[in-house]
Amino acid sequence: MEVKDKIRETIINLLKLKPQELKDNEKLCDGIGADSTELVELVIALEKAFGVKLTAKEITKFCSVNDIEKTIQSKLSQTVLK
Amino acid sequence: MRKIAVTGIGIVAPSGIGKRQFWANIKAGRSFVKKITRFDAQAYPSHIAGQIDDLDAYTHVSERLLKKMDAFSHMALIASEMALQDAGLDIQKEDPNLVGIFLGNAIGGWLYAETELRDLYREGREGVSPYMASAWFPAAPQGQVSIYYGIKGFSKTVVSDRASSLMALGYAGKTLGKDKLNLILAGGMEAPVTPYALLCCNTYGCLSKNNDNPQSAYRPFDKKRDGFVIGEGAGIVTLENIERAKARNANIQAVISGYGTTCDARDRINPATDGKELARAIQMALDDAQVLPEKIDYISLDGLACDDWDSGEVSAIKQVFGDKAKTIPASCPKSMFGNLLGASGAVDMITTILGMEHNLIPPTINLDEPANNGLNYIKKEAKEYKINKALVISRGRGGINSALVIEKT
Repeated sequence: MEVKDKIRETIINLLKLKPQELKDNEKLCDGIGADSTELVELVIALEKAFGVKLTAKEITKFCSVNDIEKTIQSKLSQTVLK
Repeated sequence: MRKIAVTGIGIVAPSGIGKRQFWANIKAGRSFVKKITRFDAQAYPSHIAGQIDDLDAYTHVSERLLKKMDAFSHMALIASEMALQDAGLDIQKEDPNLVGIFLGNAIGGWLYAETELRDLYREGREGVSPYMASAWFPAAPQGQVSIYYGIKGFSKTVVSDRASSLMALGYAGKTLGKDKLNLILAGGMEAPVTPYALLCCNTYGCLSKNNDNPQSAYRPFDKKRDGFVIGEGAGIVTLENIERAKARNANIQAVISGYGTTCDARDRINPATDGKELARAIQMALDDAQVLPEKIDYISLDGLACDDWDSGEVSAIKQVFGDKAKTIPASCPKSMFGNLLGASGAVDMITTILGMEHNLIPPTINLDEPANNGLNYIKKEAKEYKINKALVISRGRGGINSALVIEKT
């Protein structure tokens, strides 16, 4: 599964969304109104899904799916380099 | 105190969700106490309860929100929505700064807490839901309801064991009387049918062990009583000043006219057996309402079905009402669905208001032979009777006493 698809699936399952409600370029705080605790949950779920460590600062409510994808791709490439 | 109008009722109880279903079952004297099926409770000395199985069928709350809260918050949200609808209120049209919420709860949201604590020990820190921090504590329903409706006025959660919700109602009434707010959602909620909460209730030592006969187990004031039965649910009402309620042509279902509260200051669990402090709370509520004892038509009893609690309650009533105690109809309808702990007082008030509306006194089921004489117990079947003024008694562990006077308009 592509990284973006996996991120989308994680967010959709976590926040009980319909796929069409999650726009890839929309900030998490806008369209789906994610709150701070949901973001904590999302960080934990993404860490489990991708086997990387993320900080709360890296995944904020001002992030979009596209932003998260960039962050995770970067983390994954660092893991490969190590 | 200034009389405060009850304009909407929301009830979530083992006997029914919504006041119509609830009242139909109360009127019929049906018991909803049964063996606990939510988890394997066989090893507990008392494993019977008033359990609600169909909460989800009545919900208006999204799945996304539901996963962030314990059942007791869910019950509070459903009861609040019912109360607002019953009152014909669109809360979005209210000034949010002048709407408050006063709720009572005794033990918090243990189903959520237990599950997450289990995960903490099994999986470590990362196994725990971040919602745990806000889901379990007794004020969580106040938070969830206020967020859901955008309530921004002075609000409060009262934690005083089983007396919590009657105290919340009294406190709400006093606050409205000072013109601090326009509208208050008031009452209580409790969800104790969980493994740890049931264990704590069992440890407390006042629960009925008559597990083989659930429907006849809760026997307040009866010679064969052996303790109370827990139940879960919520009772929430909308309160408004009479002037405002009349101005908007609201259906004023009753008025709260007096409130009193005292403490026994004797023991951390048991009440004082002389009933003196409960009598003082009752007298305080009557004085507050400017109602003479002989004008009370009905007494809603706390009825814990334990010797010291029942005898102290009867003694207190006799101290206040004298010979008249023998004639005033009195009952403990929670014998049908269990003691909803922190929500019990609010549910008792709602039951009393429905009794006023239908000119019917709900019965104490399972009361065959009174252990404490001197009261006019309404037993087994509901009795037609016009109630104009009623007294509701609610008491908590350690001898927290509260009493409320309500009147028909």
